[in-house]
Amino acid sequence: MPIDAALIAATVDHLSRHAPFDRMAQTHLAWLAERLKIGYYGKGEAVLAPDQGAAQTFYIIKQGIVRGEREGEAAWLELHEGECFPIGALLSRRAAISHFRAETDVFCYELPAADFHSLLDLSPPFHAFCTLRLADLLAQSQRQTQARYLSASTEQQSLESRLGGLIRRAPITCSPETPLRRTLEIMREQGIGSIVVTQADAQPLGIFTVRDLIGRVILPNAPLDTPIQALMSPQPLGLPPSAHAFEAALAMARHGFRHVLVVDGNRLVGVISEKDLFSLQRIGVTQISSAIRSANELGQLQQAAQDIRQLGHNMLAQGVGAEQLTLLLSTLNDLLTQRVIELECADAGLDRLCWLAFGSEGRLEQTLATDQDNGIIFEVRAGEDPETVRAECLSLAERINRALDACGFPLCRGQIMAMNPKWCLSLAEWKVLFARWIDAGDPEALLNASIFFDFRPLYGQTPLADQLRQWLCAKAAATPRFLHQMVANALRNRPPLGLVRDFVTESGGDHADTLDLKLNGAMPFVDAARVFALATGSAATGTAQRLRQAGLKLNLPKAEIEAWIAAFFFIQLLRLRRQHEENESGQALDNRINPDRLNELDRRILKEAFRQARKIQARLALDYQA
Amino acid sequence: MSLPLRHWLARRLDRVALPPELAERLAAWRALPAADLALPFEQERYVVIDVESTGLDMRRDRLIAIGAVAVHHGRIHLADSFEIVLRQSEVSGKDNILVHGIGGERQREGFEPGEALLRFLGYLGSSPLVAFHVAFDATMIRRACKTFLGFDFHPPWLDLAYVMPSLLPELARSHRALDHWTRHFGIGNYARHNALADALATAQLFLTALPLAQAHGLQCYRDLLGQEKAQRWLGASI
Repeated sequence: MPIDAALIAATVDHLSRHAPFDRMAQTHLAWLAERLKIGYYGKGEAVLAPDQGAAQTFYIIKQGIVRGEREGEAAWLELHEGECFPIGALLSRRAAISHFRAETDVFCYELPAADFHSLLDLSPPFHAFCTLRLADLLAQSQRQTQARYLSASTEQQSLESRLGGLIRRAPITCSPETPLRRTLEIMREQGIGSIVVTQADAQPLGIFTVRDLIGRVILPNAPLDTPIQALMSPQPLGLPPSAHAFEAALAMARHGFRHVLVVDGNRLVGVISEKDLFSLQRIGVTQISSAIRSANELGQLQQAAQDIRQLGHNMLAQGVGAEQLTLLLSTLNDLLTQRVIELECADAGLDRLCWLAFGSEGRLEQTLATDQDNGIIFEVRAGEDPETVRAECLSLAERINRALDACGFPLCRGQIMAMNPKWCLSLAEWKVLFARWIDAGDPEALLNASIFFDFRPLYGQTPLADQLRQWLCAKAAATPRFLHQMVANALRNRPPLGLVRDFVTESGGDHADTLDLKLNGAMPFVDAARVFALATGSAATGTAQRLRQAGLKLNLPKAEIEAWIAAFFFIQLLRLRRQHEENESGQALDNRINPDRLNELDRRILKEAFRQARKIQARLALDYQA
Repeated sequence: MSLPLRHWLARRLDRVALPPELAERLAAWRALPAADLALPFEQERYVVIDVESTGLDMRRDRLIAIGAVAVHHGRIHLADSFEIVLRQSEVSGKDNILVHGIGGERQREGFEPGEALLRFLGYLGSSPLVAFHVAFDATMIRRACKTFLGFDFHPPWLDLAYVMPSLLPELARSHRALDHWTRHFGIGNYARHNALADALATAQLFLTALPLAQAHGLQCYRDLLGQEKAQRWLGASI
């Protein structure tokens, strides 16, 4: 049989546009292509069904969309060009579990099962893809993230930043005719050391700095009504927003300037000072934590809070994983909160209260956009009136909440804060409240449980929190009805897989074509982990930790647990990356992404992650649904 | 040189000059038993082809390349494909080269036409042929066989340009060219106007025709030929 090289080459070329074929050796791809057949499936036709017995064929979609669905499950999966199925069935030499149907006219490359197994032996990347799948795709995505940001050390990384992203405030300017006196007044009012002289169209003409005062004003005895253009340094140095921080540093070093203008076209958009550049290099975990520990006033903590966020962005850019990053952010934020409390309570007694973190902070899963969720447990001693103690705690709490707000942790819109009398309770009161939620199981109680049951002690009398946790575990485990209700509630939030093309996205409105990664992506895992933890009496609050601990007790396969955790952290990573990008372009941070804008690899991983979310929900339904 | 004269010369040359080795291979091919056109689709091997030529004039233009893809048991077998370039005594014009992308060098380095055609016949065996707009491909190959091998090439041909509209009459008016049909089925083409790529696209179109034909109660190549004939009558009456 003659083998025409051209068609094989064209097929190799087509395949190598998709994972895992893009990493396979050319010879192995040619080996594969020579064994492929092309089959056609008309719209609606079954490609593969469980009742066909052990899978005989490995399918790679050449063009069109195949839909896979499992019997009795509402959700389904869409497979597109370059995707393969049924890998699991072929590996374990069993029948496919899903029904695969042509959603459009479909052409598939088809490989006999025996050749599939030979290829597994032949090609390590193919083997890795088929056996590891999610883990393999994740590793690939991680490499891509790292490649996107060239980085060697933190210092280099920070000097790789774009100037546009370093601008901290809108530039302060004045017109060329402004008298010296008015100019100096503006500088004093704004607390700035330099001012840019601009034309009406924001084109910069010159710069005047405090250093110019001695040589140009005081010694020559210049009158205060002199127009500033006579005193400014003309033709200031400007760089575009796309220039790197190191270019600004070089320019400053070369010309002895302390400021560089950031100019977009002819328009001034910001000023970068020497200080801005040096502050980039100050940011490291150890520097930040020691700065927090030695801080004596709020201003230093505000700076530290800003540094924490900057560090988060830098580390993300270096490809640090979501698990480490969220843990690190939460740890530093914990440290900061602790120091805020110490400073605010320097004169108050802390021997009777415990500061609690709820929600994502309680789970040690904070992202770059986070508000306050906190509360207090206080101890009431014999003969004391709880209301008196509460009043004391509340005034303290208000100062702490406001200080945290000043550090960039906005006050909670839902009022879940220690300064709210509802969440500043004695141990006995917390127990009564939690017991009421558990016994009631109404929607509001379930919503509250999902926030408050992730509490974690942050400061003060941690034994109070430990007692509450112990009591809660016992109470929840002893109330199966409540677990069923939590599960039913959690299952209402389905992963957005299927329906229109790949993902269910919002249609219309402000959020057209986007999906909420927090609500639809991370929540299914977080909710499931909470139920597992409550059911098994685990005291852990972190999602990954909860899953690992509960997995042991429930005898769940380790690989399954790790796949859930990997999927959860991939979604967290996408959230962080999204927030990072929004931060770079000066947008408000949110959790919404447009799946069409993801690259093909990330889109496939996200799909796989949503499949894992479906699996964890299925497990939840199986174990705890009434 | 006038066309009849060239043909006459070619025939003379053939009688005298077809080397014994080629003559032997030709005789062996001609001795193959004819295909059974009544075999069900699932049992037969079909060869889907597309040709490239120096132009669109069926009387004057010459055959440059043949691309072919085999369909067995309702599946395209990528390994069972074929492409060959015929050596040209004079390279086709620049405009023409831009259409099929076979440059002057490749045209000059192609196979000796007689050898090329015999290789094609060897690949084809006795499989029935399928193409889109058969008249052109068939004429080009037949004339080349006449000129270089000195025999009349008259295999069974099926024309998808008639079969497709007969199976999907509601699309007949709006779908005339190969591109219309491939677009309808979402069939990609990795290199349009490359004989092999076009043959692959045509073969994919043929795959879509098979289940449609079965839905019309047609079981074999001969049934499809009947369908094609009816459509030609219908087309002529429109």
